[in-house]
Amino acid sequence: MKQNLIAAILDGDVSRAVIEAKKLLNAKIKPERIIKEAFGEVITELDEKCTIEQFNLLEIMLAGRAILAVVRELYPKGIPSSQIKGIIVIGVLEGDIHDLGKNIVKILLIGRGYRVIDCGKDCPVEEMINIAEKEGADAIFISGLISTVIPQVKRVKPLLTQRGLTNIKVVAGGGALKQSSTKNLNVDFVAETVFNGLNYLNKIREI
Amino acid sequence: MNSIERMMRVINFKTPDRVPVVAQVFGHAAIVSKVSLHDYIRDGELLASCQINALKRYKYDAVFALMDVSVETEAIGSVLEYRRDQYPICKKYVLSETTNPDLLLIPDPYQAKRMPELLKAAAILRAQLGDEILIVGCVIGPMTLTGQLLGAERALNLAIDEPEKFSRILNFSKKVAIKFGLAQIEAGVHLPIVFEPFGSPAVVPHQFFREFILPHLKEIFSTFKKTGAVCNWLHIAGHTSSILSYYPEIGVDLANFDYYVNPLVAQKLLPRICLDGNIKSLSFIEATPAEILKESQKLLDLYAERGGFVLSSGCEIPPESNPLNVEAMVSATRL
Repeated sequence: MKQNLIAAILDGDVSRAVIEAKKLLNAKIKPERIIKEAFGEVITELDEKCTIEQFNLLEIMLAGRAILAVVRELYPKGIPSSQIKGIIVIGVLEGDIHDLGKNIVKILLIGRGYRVIDCGKDCPVEEMINIAEKEGADAIFISGLISTVIPQVKRVKPLLTQRGLTNIKVVAGGGALKQSSTKNLNVDFVAETVFNGLNYLNKIREI
Repeated sequence: MNSIERMMRVINFKTPDRVPVVAQVFGHAAIVSKVSLHDYIRDGELLASCQINALKRYKYDAVFALMDVSVETEAIGSVLEYRRDQYPICKKYVLSETTNPDLLLIPDPYQAKRMPELLKAAAILRAQLGDEILIVGCVIGPMTLTGQLLGAERALNLAIDEPEKFSRILNFSKKVAIKFGLAQIEAGVHLPIVFEPFGSPAVVPHQFFREFILPHLKEIFSTFKKTGAVCNWLHIAGHTSSILSYYPEIGVDLANFDYYVNPLVAQKLLPRICLDGNIKSLSFIEATPAEILKESQKLLDLYAERGGFVLSSGCEIPPESNPLNVEAMVSATRL
């Protein structure tokens, strides 16, 4: 049964995915197990497909839509805090409004059990840091398509340090930022794809 | 041999006096002339003078009558916010959930928002440079413009949920590109490059490109050619290997390829289409001139036997790039 849900999500078929999720619930499978096993496998499959030749945002976006619909079906009142893996603040920094990549990352993070606070696009660095501090974030994810936001990205770590928030990891990704390096951007990790970012989160959780 | 002759020779796989070099210098021309991007992208006369200043400094083979990628969406009704040292950003897309896309009007390039200023820049560049240097205009491809009318995510959702409505907007966007491109040719550009970043396989699968985007690009390029464009130049960034084989059908004469694409793969997939690329854009900010020179020489060596190559960046040279890096790339073609 789980395989049917996985297939529906990978197919981007929202209504079929919801039907399959309901079937699993009716079979008394707990929501957290559905999320862990089915979504885990979906993300692994997408990650494997996500080679340079096969990666495209549309396909991941469609799978993401299905994931969100299933999450809503499994947890109509939201995912209980006891099951949250961590808190991620995500946004596109001031000067950039390209948020498609950011929105996709957000959905996949939710699908992997993270609580995600979305700062939107064109967001001042200070605002993002204020939110991260207030929410007790584990990591800040910054998406950037254009190079002019790089000076803003470089400010994030020093501002976090100033406030004693050195435990918050900073991850950068997106068209322009992934061309750079952790050193040049002054971040903890540069994600070539959304899946790199997710794997990095898993890795730091294990430490 | 002047720049146009040089470019046309490589496009036709004939031997030039040297390999042409085209730095995709847009907003960087403003920085070189010490003017703000804010003014550069709104004033055709200023844009033309900055492009000519940059040409004098760098001595490459093409200039661009090109402001930014938001000219068309603004002319149709989207609201932009202008900032001093950045390209404008779209604050409100013209198509909301409730707007009827069939009511959109194709903008008049001689009147709508910044379009007339871009035409003015084209006319000044042609008057001053004549047929010595390639003068390149720019139109936004139909898929990209559709994304800029709706917002990227809504555009993709619409393509899946309401493909007929999506196709109507795509068709409208094609008509905008054709009308604006023809006005640019009339104003003096030798060709309008077509920017279609949202058609990249990084965004949509190659089957989507083939079914939805290819027919429109084909019509755009065939219209430009009939109206006097000296060649058809397509610019799609990202890992385009899976769509390069469609380029001959589209009518592409000059294909930009980004740093993601292996140059050997590109030449194998397009044996008779001239390629331009593919130095990583960000390296014009982060690398040293010696590194840019080395990368340029590597590309020149790779294409020495085949020909049909224009040395260039894979995408725009960012405004804040180090001028010495641009000089290094240009110098590689003169060693």
